[in-house]
Amino acid sequence: MGELPFKPSQPLSLGVELELQIVNTRDYNLTRGASDLLGALAKSKHPGDIKPEITESMVEMSTSVHESHGKLVAELRTMRDAVAAAAHGLNLGIAGGGTHAFQKWNDRRIYDTERFNHLAGLYGYLAKQFTVFGQHIHVGCVDGDEAVYLAHMFSRYVPHFIALSASSPFQQGEDTLFDSSRLSVVNAFPLSGTMPLVHHWAEFEAYFSKMQGFGIVKSMKDFYWDIRPKPEFGTIEIRVCDTPLSVDRAAALAAYAQALARYLRLERPRPISAEPYLVYSYNRFQACRHGMEASLIEPCDGGSASMRQDLAATFARIAPHAEALGCRPLVQGLLTGAQDSGNDARRLRARLKETGSFPDVARWQCEQWMQPSK
Amino acid sequence: MPDLFFLPAAPLPPNQIIWFGVLLLAGVIGGEVARRVLFLPRITGYVAAGLALGPEGFALIDKALLHELRGFADISIGLILFELGHRIDLRWLKRSPRLVLTSLAECALGAGLVYFTLRTFFALDVLHASAAAAIAIATSPAVVMRITADLGAEGQVTERALLLTALNCSVAVLALTALIPWLYLEYRGGWRTILLHPMYLLAGSFALGLGASAATLALLKWLGKREEIQAVLLIALILATIGAAIALKLSVLLALLAYGALVRNLDRHYHLAAPDFGLTGQIFFLILFVLAGANLDLHAAWAGIVIGASLAAVRFAGKAVGILAFVTGGRMQVRQGLLLALALTPMSGLAVIMLQDTQSLFPEFGRTLASVVLPAVVLLEIAGPVLTQLALKFAGEARPKPAEKS
Repeated sequence: MGELPFKPSQPLSLGVELELQIVNTRDYNLTRGASDLLGALAKSKHPGDIKPEITESMVEMSTSVHESHGKLVAELRTMRDAVAAAAHGLNLGIAGGGTHAFQKWNDRRIYDTERFNHLAGLYGYLAKQFTVFGQHIHVGCVDGDEAVYLAHMFSRYVPHFIALSASSPFQQGEDTLFDSSRLSVVNAFPLSGTMPLVHHWAEFEAYFSKMQGFGIVKSMKDFYWDIRPKPEFGTIEIRVCDTPLSVDRAAALAAYAQALARYLRLERPRPISAEPYLVYSYNRFQACRHGMEASLIEPCDGGSASMRQDLAATFARIAPHAEALGCRPLVQGLLTGAQDSGNDARRLRARLKETGSFPDVARWQCEQWMQPSK
Repeated sequence: MPDLFFLPAAPLPPNQIIWFGVLLLAGVIGGEVARRVLFLPRITGYVAAGLALGPEGFALIDKALLHELRGFADISIGLILFELGHRIDLRWLKRSPRLVLTSLAECALGAGLVYFTLRTFFALDVLHASAAAAIAIATSPAVVMRITADLGAEGQVTERALLLTALNCSVAVLALTALIPWLYLEYRGGWRTILLHPMYLLAGSFALGLGASAATLALLKWLGKREEIQAVLLIALILATIGAAIALKLSVLLALLAYGALVRNLDRHYHLAAPDFGLTGQIFFLILFVLAGANLDLHAAWAGIVIGASLAAVRFAGKAVGILAFVTGGRMQVRQGLLLALALTPMSGLAVIMLQDTQSLFPEFGRTLASVVLPAVVLLEIAGPVLTQLALKFAGEARPKPAEKS
């Protein structure tokens, strides 16, 4: 047994974390509301867990572990309703979206805990700029070796998750021309990027011990990778998604991850290799910048395909697995429905064009997130 | 014609523009001294600067001049009441009826205790005690808004302090207006005056506010959402409304509160962005506090120190009990409730204006009323900003000091 034991978990089990924006209902700017909101939620009963994040304008809700996406959707909706009810009582708005459209980063306040104060001291202005909002998807793995395999295989699909979830076109009151500008904020951190090219869990443990020995990291939490194994949960964690504008879309993204994981672990389409990482940054940038209009390069043969073609091809491959998991319509809707309607970033831009006002966009985001599912 | 006709005559003829500059300058210096040297809120420095310039200090400003400068104070209080009215979010109140109960309890208990104390321990008659109690309902909106902005305070205590202030100011003004018929009965006036004057004040001020809101929304619909233009447009309409209220002998307080509240709650299509008067707003805030300082009558306050201190104390007690009765068990904690009550202690310009308005209708009654209420106003004019600042800091809602590289 190494120093970083991997807790086995039910394969393909699912959990979702959503970082959410807390805004006031006057001008819809981010506001200091996390401690009040968490105080109010402590008095109500709800499933899952709702926790503080690095600044006072964010809160994170995380679901319990589920084997079927159906239960995950139901729990996400119940939690959403609890958060929305507490926020209504405090006259706060809660919104999805990877960034807040017009907040000024230096107005943010660090949530007062030891860890967050430490991070603020360590990272300086990056800590306050880290007021961006992501969705993390956990997929259960039987053991560490499977986690390593899946983490590498998922990197091929990172552009999909970016484009489908992208909802951060605006930052600091400007259109960034990116669909997901949030990930550029993550890039600034020294421990961001991808997992090193290890093939087995034992190899990963050796890597981790070395980094720990150097004093570079204390725990797995210090790595801000796009995909990272989470040994204490027994999962891999996909961290590239922006928080979508609704929990239903968040659930659909999780279902896609689940179907993909089933395909990868049962069919084992490729061995672990360095090749996909040659095009990784390029494809990732394409997805961030252009979203559904991105053009991607296939790592093995160097051929290029549009995001839409690649999504359709992927769906054809994983459809039987989605079927087996009972989430085929949901995944199909996400992967191919997105071709007609675009992603949340496109919807946000349309909203800005219509109203010409960032506060109006933020108010609409709150309505989208807080309203009960139809 | 003398050769040197082009030189000014001595003594220099004063004009309002000079005074505007002098007041601002004194306020800025006073504010910075208070903040940097004494670690007090800037507002306290503004008031002190006014006090130093006024009849009680170096007497650069005398009573006659104060009267002449009343226009500046009217503009300031108009801007403040508009913004305050805009804080009244009916949708929030509808969703959280507990807030309405908190507000009513806070107003009723504060006023009730003040009334009881004045009647029992100071042997005041019913009318004086009622009018004083009505004025004591209001928290100084200028102080709460300025301190909140200076501290960059955000959170539930801040939000609720602003909302409860907006509500208690409205209740105070309405209560005082409702006393007018009884005052007429006591002092003078036929039945037509008794009935029609308060109705004219209420309906007229409300109608003016409604008209201004309708005009604002119509203009905004056409102008669109350019925030810098919105601010200028709002200031223009607010000035016009203040002037109209004065000309029509309506209540500036009611008209502007109604304007602010209506323009927000009638704005179904969100034409109006949150008002931000920026630098202009700050300048008029400052002027208001300097003038309030110059108006302070320390001798009278000292003479009435007992009644002033008792009034301030029971007013706080009433507000605190009223808030705690409804706030706990809701979404707030006891500690937050107490800090909220503390944040609501300031009394200031609004009380003075309510006194002046009463005095202009009933001079004799107004004078005796002022001797009862003013000591508390002076006390809370000085202590209030400090208390509000402490409350918001203890609530953890003030903006933390910026990080420095060590």
